[in-house]
Amino acid sequence: MSKDETEKAALSLSNTFQSFSVGDETVDILKDISFSIKPHTFNIIYGQSGSGKSTLLNILSGLQKPTKGTVHYEGRDIYKLSSNDLAYFRAHRIGIVYQQNYWVKSLNVIENVSMPLYLQGYTKTQAESEAMKALASINMDSYAKKYPTLLSGGEQQRVAMARAIVNNPSIIIADEPTGNLDSTNGDMIMDLLVRYQTVLNRTVILVTHNMEYLTLADHLLNIKNGVLIDMQGKSITETTEGLIKGIRQRVDHFAVNKKRRKHAAKS
Amino acid sequence: MQQNLRPNKGIRASILMHVAWRNLISKKLRTILTVVGVIIGIGAIYFLLSFGLGLQKLVTDEIIGNKSLKLVEVVSPNSEIISLDQEMVGRVSSLPNVDQVSVEYSYPGLLSLNGGEIDVVTYGVDEAYADFVALNLINGRLLNENDTQQVILNTGALESIGIEKPREAVGQTVALRVPLKSDDPEQKDILADFRIVGVIDSGNGSEAFIPSGVFSAAGVDSYKTLRILADEPENVASLRQGIESIGLETQSPADTLDQVGQIFDFFNVIMISFGSIGMLVAVIGMFNTITVSLLERTREIGLMVALGARRADMRKLFIIETTMISVIGAAIGILIAMLSGFLLNLLMNQLAGQRGVESSFSIFINPPWLIGSMMLFMVVIGLLVAALPSRRAERINPIDALRHE
Repeated sequence: MSKDETEKAALSLSNTFQSFSVGDETVDILKDISFSIKPHTFNIIYGQSGSGKSTLLNILSGLQKPTKGTVHYEGRDIYKLSSNDLAYFRAHRIGIVYQQNYWVKSLNVIENVSMPLYLQGYTKTQAESEAMKALASINMDSYAKKYPTLLSGGEQQRVAMARAIVNNPSIIIADEPTGNLDSTNGDMIMDLLVRYQTVLNRTVILVTHNMEYLTLADHLLNIKNGVLIDMQGKSITETTEGLIKGIRQRVDHFAVNKKRRKHAAKS
Repeated sequence: MQQNLRPNKGIRASILMHVAWRNLISKKLRTILTVVGVIIGIGAIYFLLSFGLGLQKLVTDEIIGNKSLKLVEVVSPNSEIISLDQEMVGRVSSLPNVDQVSVEYSYPGLLSLNGGEIDVVTYGVDEAYADFVALNLINGRLLNENDTQQVILNTGALESIGIEKPREAVGQTVALRVPLKSDDPEQKDILADFRIVGVIDSGNGSEAFIPSGVFSAAGVDSYKTLRILADEPENVASLRQGIESIGLETQSPADTLDQVGQIFDFFNVIMISFGSIGMLVAVIGMFNTITVSLLERTREIGLMVALGARRADMRKLFIIETTMISVIGAAIGILIAMLSGFLLNLLMNQLAGQRGVESSFSIFINPPWLIGSMMLFMVVIGLLVAALPSRRAERINPIDALRHE
């Protein structure tokens, strides 16, 4: 990857490896991954369970230093920053939404949404004023004084979205945010992510299993067994149609097998 | 980004305190039990120390009585060889660190009033005497330089002679006879009438204080005791050395005080040892609470780090939580111990009053240094308790923490 390309990218990975030691063996989770994310784009990483998607997101969000390789944000290797500067990077530049909702349980909704701002050094009043605006933008301001664990899954995920944008980050990282939701709530979250990219001009990096959402992507990244296949330049529609066709074929195959078993059981 | 990545100031202390407080009150029962442990631990130590120190003060006051710690009492080991006369007063006065010198005669005497007669210790004192000894005047006035035929009696003398109310004594005239039992033909026994001008509530037995001039007029040229006030308590030792080098003997209230202090230091150590048992239980309780809290909130810590918390902030969060428990527990514990001491003081005074003791006393005392040092002690204990859990909080890996069940 050229230096120019690295500097223009919102985030870029170069020759990144991630390995874990299990006993005497070394397991490679990510193998020689290189790609760049353009600013203000909607990026989707997809792949099977255990393919290394979440590890890749952890590396991108500054939480896990890769075994080898570099991660650049606006031209600077984030893993060469001090621990405090890396914390600053996460607090100011990244908004994160997880599949599972994590909260500081003793704090209410508005205090949880304020947390990224608290961590930036905001006063309680300043942070909660901004948090209220973020909650209002997703029509969740009436839930401000409730405790997040008492909300439904969909409501919790919307509050998590408010927390992800409250610090006005340039990159929003979403790790299967619709994974635990029904289609209505899932669509609502996806709608918010699209809104953040298109209206607020943020860079979105989404990991999802749901093939239906792949067409939203400006940039598709497929991971298979720790190897990244960058679909950059390929037709998103063709790729997604191909994937959906593959799913239909699998489902059809299951249906044929089911009929066969029923028939065999009768005879 | 390079410019923007200025040093991260991190979360404000007030927010960390808010988060810590909210966490503590979200686990009310656990927090209350832990705080109760601290209350018992610190309260027990404070109560016992307050008792030990109160008792020490009571005993010290009783022994030292009305004497100043700057006081050096000087007597002659053999008055025939070294006489405490005016010349000796001049020599002693010229020593370094001497602030004031007072002379005292003391002889047994007989005091009569309205046909009654009692034995009294008769002191001949100068006007400086009152600066050395707190005479605790309860009626009338003390002697002054113009007095020649005036006397001050203590309550013991009044009771012996049958006067119940001190104010009834002031203005009355008593006859005082002091046999000097001397071979010196120039000395004459003191036999004169004295008008009572004041009553004091101090001393043991029956005492009468008359102007020292009465003794010198009777031809007594050697004082019984010199009382010397050093300029500072810490100069008493060197002053005593100087006086003893002349061949005189010295005594100081500090001698007794040191011995009493040593005994009570030992007593207080025993008190602290008893209190420490409760303290140990409180420390274990605090450690348990903070460790359980850390385990329960591993995921929350992971989340906060993922959202941009510095690791040091997570350490501070646990230190603040432990300090809150320590400070709240210590404040309540000390207050309860003070209140208990106050009530016991009242009770003891009431019981003593019923047995005829008029003066009030405190067997539990609350010096500000004790309150301050116990608070500080508990904060230090809290910080020690927080050391291990807070280090663990600092080292938590956010990815592992977010997977933590």
